[in-house]
Amino acid sequence: MEMWETAGYHPGLGETEVQWREQTFEQGGERRRVRVPVPDEKGLQRLVEVVRKNRQTDLASLSVSEVVHRIDQTVERLLDRNHPLRRRMEDWLPVVTGLAPDVIRTGLTASMKTFRKPQLLRWLAEDFGNPAMLDSFQPRVNGGFTRAISPHLLVHIWSGNVPGIPLWSLVSGLLVRSAQIGKVASAEPLMAGWFAQALEEVDPKLARCLAVVGWQGGDESRERLLFQEAEVVSAYGSNETLEAIQSRIPVTTRFLPHGHRFGLALVGKEALNPARVADVLRKAARDVAIYDQQGCYSPHCFYVEKGGVLSPRQFARMLAHELDIMQIRYPRRTLSPREIGEWNRWNQQAEWRALEGEEAEWIGGDGRFWSVAYEETGDASLLPTCLNRAVLVSAVNDLEEVAGRIAPFRAYLQTAGIAASSRRMFQLADRLAETGITRICALGHMTVPSSGWHHDGRPVLKDLVRLVDVEPSAEVAAEPHNPYSE
Amino acid sequence: MGEKEVLQGLKDMMKAVEADEAAFQNLALQLFQYQYRHNPPYRRFCQSRGRTPRIVKDWWEIPAVPMRAFKEATLSCNDPAEAEAVFMTSGTTRPGKRGKHVHPTLDIYNRSMLRNFRQRFMGARDVLSMGILFPRPETLPHSSLAHYLSLAVREFGGEHSSYLVDGEEVHFSRLLHFLREAERSGEPCALLGASFHFVHVMDFLEQEGLSFRLPEGSRILDTGGLKGQSRHVDPDVFYAGLAARFGVPRHRCINMYGLTELSTQFYDDGNETVPSKKSGPYWIRTRVIDPVSGEDVPYGETGVLVHYDLANVHSVLAVMTEDWGKAVEGGFILMGRAEGAEARGCSLAAEEFLRSSKG
Repeated sequence: MEMWETAGYHPGLGETEVQWREQTFEQGGERRRVRVPVPDEKGLQRLVEVVRKNRQTDLASLSVSEVVHRIDQTVERLLDRNHPLRRRMEDWLPVVTGLAPDVIRTGLTASMKTFRKPQLLRWLAEDFGNPAMLDSFQPRVNGGFTRAISPHLLVHIWSGNVPGIPLWSLVSGLLVRSAQIGKVASAEPLMAGWFAQALEEVDPKLARCLAVVGWQGGDESRERLLFQEAEVVSAYGSNETLEAIQSRIPVTTRFLPHGHRFGLALVGKEALNPARVADVLRKAARDVAIYDQQGCYSPHCFYVEKGGVLSPRQFARMLAHELDIMQIRYPRRTLSPREIGEWNRWNQQAEWRALEGEEAEWIGGDGRFWSVAYEETGDASLLPTCLNRAVLVSAVNDLEEVAGRIAPFRAYLQTAGIAASSRRMFQLADRLAETGITRICALGHMTVPSSGWHHDGRPVLKDLVRLVDVEPSAEVAAEPHNPYSE
Repeated sequence: MGEKEVLQGLKDMMKAVEADEAAFQNLALQLFQYQYRHNPPYRRFCQSRGRTPRIVKDWWEIPAVPMRAFKEATLSCNDPAEAEAVFMTSGTTRPGKRGKHVHPTLDIYNRSMLRNFRQRFMGARDVLSMGILFPRPETLPHSSLAHYLSLAVREFGGEHSSYLVDGEEVHFSRLLHFLREAERSGEPCALLGASFHFVHVMDFLEQEGLSFRLPEGSRILDTGGLKGQSRHVDPDVFYAGLAARFGVPRHRCINMYGLTELSTQFYDDGNETVPSKKSGPYWIRTRVIDPVSGEDVPYGETGVLVHYDLANVHSVLAVMTEDWGKAVEGGFILMGRAEGAEARGCSLAAEEFLRSSKG
């Protein structure tokens, strides 16, 4: 029997008032169907009005700490592995995304943990200093007052199959108390709707400030309509997709594009001794295997320093072995024919580079679900890789060289994982910061950004709001008009 | 067996009208042995696949080199510095890094091209006035197509033959002159060149409101395909356009499918209907394989094309393309280039990076 699941969340629009798009997902012989609500333009206009009105009556009046409390209660439910919604996530997401059940389970827990109360408060403090400025005008150190005004309507366009992305978006939007409409990705249409349902259990009124629907990406009339109504549009996708979206957004609407990016890792010679290297390798392999490098934070390249007890070439071979072990607990997704094509092309290139000379090596081939290319000439033509657990290990004389090597990728860099001593880690951070890298973390943490991170270098929450200042002059000028003024 | 014997065997084979399975098999295995011995990266490749001359017993077992290998390695049995020609790919997939095909001598390449061209394009004629819509070899010394076309003009071009491209742009007044002269003379002529130049020419003629009726027996040869250019043109529209603008019936509009990495070309027998069937002479054979397993797909199903070209004497005879196609009686249908995958997550993948750094 085929299993069905309904995606989306559309307060104020009945079952029969939307069309339904059916999607089929197959993984390991299992076949599941998802139906996604697709409102027409009139329906979309209705949703805009409903979530906006609900925000006005039920969300705008909540204090930021009341919102935090409700989100905390929601993720508490989703952290409970026996909760029906959490069970559905663990049951469905492996089939929908193709990711291994263990990757889904640990990934869900890790991302939910970042949305608990203490983490949310820290995130708010990170972006606003004094989060109370979301509620009322707060005094500024240099005089005057500032208040953060939330957008009436925030629109999200999601893409890809990393389930955490819609969560980040929806939680950010809630924290700034905005009405939200999200368009699900066809690669993973379920997560956002489930979150809305969990929120509904905690506070139905709050949930009704969100809508989660779908339509064919690039649908010009729907997107123009929605972008016209939105105050902020946040979108994920390739630069081509983002450019197309941008062309439909009025100049008066704020656009927050999140293009595809990639990460890399640096391993210092001090980490390359037999006592420490096992741990480094395990973490490195984990960062590659989790989400099969589909995340913008996932590493494509390991820059490994010469001069340690183990050579970079040995590191490459040991990493290959470690990736082989990862396959047992976290098996790789089944690839689509197009992904296989890309996989083959990258591997052919890596193999022939290795056949041509001694400075390169390629460990991969038939029956392997990972691939490691090694090189020591500084050639970056294998970057970025074809994803799906293909990595380049590049030998460097000194990790200081890395900044120069990655310069051509400036616009596409995101996370750097570092295994080196404290002093060098900070030195490298300084160099990497200049190159376009926006996040530096430990190996093993690359796929789990900490709460309140500056995604692609931006203050996520602050980018959503409008800051309104009351300048000191207004205060001074008001004084003479007071009835008690002399 | 040395180079001389292999070359002689090949020349003898090309003189024959047809070759049987045994002759192809025999020469392919000899050539494989020769290339295995004289081409170190290829030898290492065969060793890593466990397929050496001692093990390979049939031509289809000869390890096929992916096209990408021509970019990464020098696949030549001879010193590239002494080559008569080095043909390079246009570098559409990886900017800066172009595939190289080293030809120590063009002797075999030219024989292969001429014999095949006469049979597949010239029909019953020895000479045709040719209008060439592609730069001369002097302008593009590393283009195999420029060489191919110059060879066609040299061997089969009538006295009114003319290059209709200056630098890399179509010279429209010369083009109009060529077409008007051809119409006036009543002698059949041929237009040959890159598909995208034909697109530009048709745009121009449409804009000017011009069309021609080239004399009965005239022919058109286009090559290079219609994808990846400034705009996509449907093949059906393209050939209908050629017929309408030049008065050359679609069954005389021939499409040539060639690769820089090969020394032999494929042709169809006109494009009355598309997609047309492509086929080559008896010294080249094509398999359709599953790119994952490397095995033949069931007959008629879609797979990746692998060509075994005996005229590729000095490089590697077995080349795995990035083109999809399917086998049909007496040839194959070309279905186009395998496209890169759209990333599923938010990570940047190789193909997207290449697309964006190109454009």
